[in-house]
Amino acid sequence: MRGTRPAVAFFALAALGPVLVRDPFLLDSLVLILLWGSTAAAWNVAGGYAGQVSLGHAAFFGLGAYSAALLGTKWGLSPWIGLLVGALLATVFGILLGFLSNRLRGPYFALATIAFSQVLLIVASRWRGFTSGSEGIPVPFRPGFWTLGITDKRVWVAIILVLAILVYLVELYLERSRRGFQLAAVREDEDAALSLGVPALWLKVAAIAASAALTAVAGALWAQYVGFVDPLYVFSVDLSVRFALAAILGGIGTALGPFLGAALILMLETYLRARFGGIGAGLVGIYLIIYGTALVVMMRFAPQGLVPWVGERFRRRPAAGSTS
Amino acid sequence: MSLLSVSGITKRFGGITANRDISFDVEAGELVGIIGPNGSGKSTLFEVISGFYRPDAGAVNLDRARLTGLSADHVCRLGVARTFQKLRPFSGLTVVDNVMVGALTRLHEVRHARARARELLDRVGLAEKADEYARTLSTGQRKRLELARALATEPRVLLLDEVTGGVDQRSIPGLVQLVRDLHRGGLTLLVVEHNMRVITAVAQRIVALYLGEKIADGAPDLVTRDRRVVEAYLGQAYVQ
Repeated sequence: MRGTRPAVAFFALAALGPVLVRDPFLLDSLVLILLWGSTAAAWNVAGGYAGQVSLGHAAFFGLGAYSAALLGTKWGLSPWIGLLVGALLATVFGILLGFLSNRLRGPYFALATIAFSQVLLIVASRWRGFTSGSEGIPVPFRPGFWTLGITDKRVWVAIILVLAILVYLVELYLERSRRGFQLAAVREDEDAALSLGVPALWLKVAAIAASAALTAVAGALWAQYVGFVDPLYVFSVDLSVRFALAAILGGIGTALGPFLGAALILMLETYLRARFGGIGAGLVGIYLIIYGTALVVMMRFAPQGLVPWVGERFRRRPAAGSTS
Repeated sequence: MSLLSVSGITKRFGGITANRDISFDVEAGELVGIIGPNGSGKSTLFEVISGFYRPDAGAVNLDRARLTGLSADHVCRLGVARTFQKLRPFSGLTVVDNVMVGALTRLHEVRHARARARELLDRVGLAEKADEYARTLSTGQRKRLELARALATEPRVLLLDEVTGGVDQRSIPGLVQLVRDLHRGGLTLLVVEHNMRVITAVAQRIVALYLGEKIADGAPDLVTRDRRVVEAYLGQAYVQ
């Protein structure tokens, strides 16, 4: 089993950030790295450990964001309640999607998840009376912890860090527990797993539901942090791809990988936008081209992702007993 | 009462009847072989018993429990384990973890399950491969892995699909000996086998299938001399 030491170092460093750094831009980056890391790790629970590759996880993110925003603006409820409602809704939809995934495997499942997120996008952007349609919802700022009206970014780092560690612990559970090994068997060969008494359907549904709920929690917190929910963004395929990409880049099926992948993507994106973003009217999109090329190059040389790539360079022998 | 009882199993695929009204019983501690030329319905019957196919008619019972209609994982938990003709190791897991997945069906502690898996690997002669990835094993070793994995679920009946199929000649005696040892240890086995020499050497009783129907059921020497069995295997010309 791969050690937890790198993860402890990573989270300790993140926790030290607010103590050492005062710069709001750097703190903002840290919040976003932890947040996108959490979403990628939550995606990894279904896509990596259970092998149910979804390209529609933005649906759950959006459910969380909308639950928190709508309950707050319509009924003045705390975003914490919105967060719970969003997680609950995502669990229900996750269970439905889990049963669907039993019928549809591989690419067909991925297509179904895209369709699912697109349906929610249409509902959110057309149901004007309830969701304000495609204009989106400004989340009211009500100062206080209970209302999550927090300006101090250091507090945000702490809140999102709790989420990040929670998702990481779920991943760790999947690497070490009975259910985790059984899920790995389902991912490797479902029929063989069934023949050994592994309740494959139940495990897949549970993994997708947990993954959905965690993604919704991230969405709810994101809505409070950013202060605005736009349906065209929170339900977008772009966002779904971002979750999957961070996990794949960092190392699919590894616990820390998604966090590193998210950090890498954010830094690369930020750097390229700052460096090439304003280079001249004709070259506005050039940073996206470089960004895409960089991703292709990384996948060429580390197709398994960062964590396995680094792991291979540090020890030759494969670690026993680990799915990571 | 028999341990495993197959009664009136019929399974159709579209217009083709792969199994027609097949019935037989397996007593506790027995080693029963199923033979038949290609397309005779052996594999289909196997999938029906192990819960992977739902029969159109008939029932499979283990002791008093009805297996028909249950999912494959449920059938295994009730005590019927199987191997696959086309081997299906969890390639991305280590050999010991492969076996551990089977053991986890009975043991809830990962630590205990892993210890049990090592014992079983020792028993099938794969102990030194325990920490390798399953994908590095040879076909013969994979057969042993499948055996260990199925045994780890502590079956009351073990279904073996073509134990010696696709294995090089030198590995066959070892595998046959392994099956014999399991049987001697008190395990009830139902074995599908292509290789007549293998099956007559290990089985106490043989059930012969042809074109989806049971054509013979009895002691190996009687079944292999049965007129219909010879005809099914070799054609009319060889019947004396």
